[in-house]
Amino acid sequence: MFVRQLRNELWKLFGKKRTYIGFGAFLLAQVAMLMAFKFTRWQSDFERMLGGNGYLPAEFISALTVAVVMLIPQIILLMPLYATLVGGDFVAKESEDGTLRMILCRPISRVRLLLVKWIAGIIFAGVLVAVLGGTALGFARIAFPWGGLFVMVPGQAFSAMPADEGLQRFLFSHLFLAVNASTMVSIAFMFSCFNMKPAAATIVALSYLFINVVMESIPFFERYNDFFITHHFRCWLLVLENPVPWARVFQSEVILVAVNITAFIVGAMAFQVRDIKS
Amino acid sequence: MTDAPIHLTDLRKVFGGRPAVESLDLTVPRGEIFGLLGHNGAGKSTTIGMMLGQVWPTSGSIRVCGHDVTSNRQKALEKVGAIFESPVFYDYLSGWRNLDILSAYSGATTKARIAEVVEWVGLTGRIDSKVRTYSHGMRARLALAQALLPKPELLILDEPSDGLDPEGIHEMRETILRLHRELGLTIMLSSHLLNEVEQLCTRIAIMQKGHKVFEGQVSEVKAARGRVMLKTADFNGATALLQSNGLITAASEGRFIVLAPGRSTAEVIRLLVASNVPVEGVWQHEQTLEDFYLNLLKTPPPVPGK
Repeated sequence: MFVRQLRNELWKLFGKKRTYIGFGAFLLAQVAMLMAFKFTRWQSDFERMLGGNGYLPAEFISALTVAVVMLIPQIILLMPLYATLVGGDFVAKESEDGTLRMILCRPISRVRLLLVKWIAGIIFAGVLVAVLGGTALGFARIAFPWGGLFVMVPGQAFSAMPADEGLQRFLFSHLFLAVNASTMVSIAFMFSCFNMKPAAATIVALSYLFINVVMESIPFFERYNDFFITHHFRCWLLVLENPVPWARVFQSEVILVAVNITAFIVGAMAFQVRDIKS
Repeated sequence: MTDAPIHLTDLRKVFGGRPAVESLDLTVPRGEIFGLLGHNGAGKSTTIGMMLGQVWPTSGSIRVCGHDVTSNRQKALEKVGAIFESPVFYDYLSGWRNLDILSAYSGATTKARIAEVVEWVGLTGRIDSKVRTYSHGMRARLALAQALLPKPELLILDEPSDGLDPEGIHEMRETILRLHRELGLTIMLSSHLLNEVEQLCTRIAIMQKGHKVFEGQVSEVKAARGRVMLKTADFNGATALLQSNGLITAASEGRFIVLAPGRSTAEVIRLLVASNVPVEGVWQHEQTLEDFYLNLLKTPPPVPGK
């Protein structure tokens, strides 16, 4: 029965056009970035930086490297927007539309209903990340040759590795990106369980993430970085490092998983005590 | 303990300090079509919300199908179907998919059962179309189909005719009667359409500002001794004569008289004819539910503690 409920929740989710806004925006952004990288000074500047660090541009200006270059801004700017947009809809939109009342005439517990929705949200996060990574690599491969992976994010990651290892790391990093996306979905989902409009749930969740980014970037709060979830979102870049700082990766993942579970519990408690009215 | 499908005891709900339902006791016996009436904001929808476990009561007890809704909602709603005013569905999905989604929350409902209710409500030819292409009437039928999915014993209908055209209202009324007749369901109906309630319900309760101000059989309401219509060329002279002889207590609107206790229309006719007052007609004016309802709601609801 749980599988049937989950399958139906996915039908609802992937049956509406709104769900695909994020996918569409990612595709457009990727095409635009790919063109910008290839046809502006961005590529020549990148080649100079590679040469300056003692690496051969011909070996590392590759599909893998360009895919990561394309992913970084999209993950910072677009992923929170679309993950929270969908997460904020889960309960609040159904409540606003009136379908929630129809469902709650049924002999299903509110916690069970939320659990099904939350798992559907996590699956959405996984699909979003898989499509994002897959299309980034696919588009990059159309315009650039296969080769090694070079990653350089000042203060966060610096590494170069051959193509095979680079592909493995690239795929592995998507597991961590999926946890990031599901955390964003879960936070918006939590607000969605309160008595508020779907847009409000999305905005509150985005604001929460934005406040984390701002606080984290203030030098005074550097020593408190572990308390800001956006700090832990960088895990996906850490697994592209050489060697991988496993202790920090593990710590961050535990914190993100805990945030996911906490968001679900808080949302479920708020939803449980709510009166559902037309 | 009672086996009544709905049994509410001393039910109370307060929203932000404002009482929405006060000290409500209500029992709906098995097999009845029960009407819940009241103006907007009288507390009908809140009461229905509490019966379905969507609104938590402030105090009191709600038993549906023999189970306490607050502590055992799943068991209580196992055999309950419900329809709300202006039924809402996932418009971007087909009627069948909507029913499949809702049936997944109704225990083990098979595809055969879905097909059975689709046929029962007459949506077979359109069930694979997207709901956004449905008319109001088709949506109402789909709403009915989803309510029938769990093979209910109790059907709760909150303004089921809302938004329907006269033909749709007639169709809905016939369907409710058919459900009662063929499936033997107990039906609780909340409606603003007094004519509809009068035609459908066997028993009613009327709510005003959160209080139940009346509960009884519809036949009692209609048979209640009301006014008598008197048609005569000299209404004022006739009523003066009748009052002086103690046959009536009041006269109004140039055509109605109210008989004094123990007096009959036959006595009225006899006196008028004997006094040479030209009588064109005298007949008992049957009270409609609308008359009763409007008169009842003119009186303010009871004040707590008095």
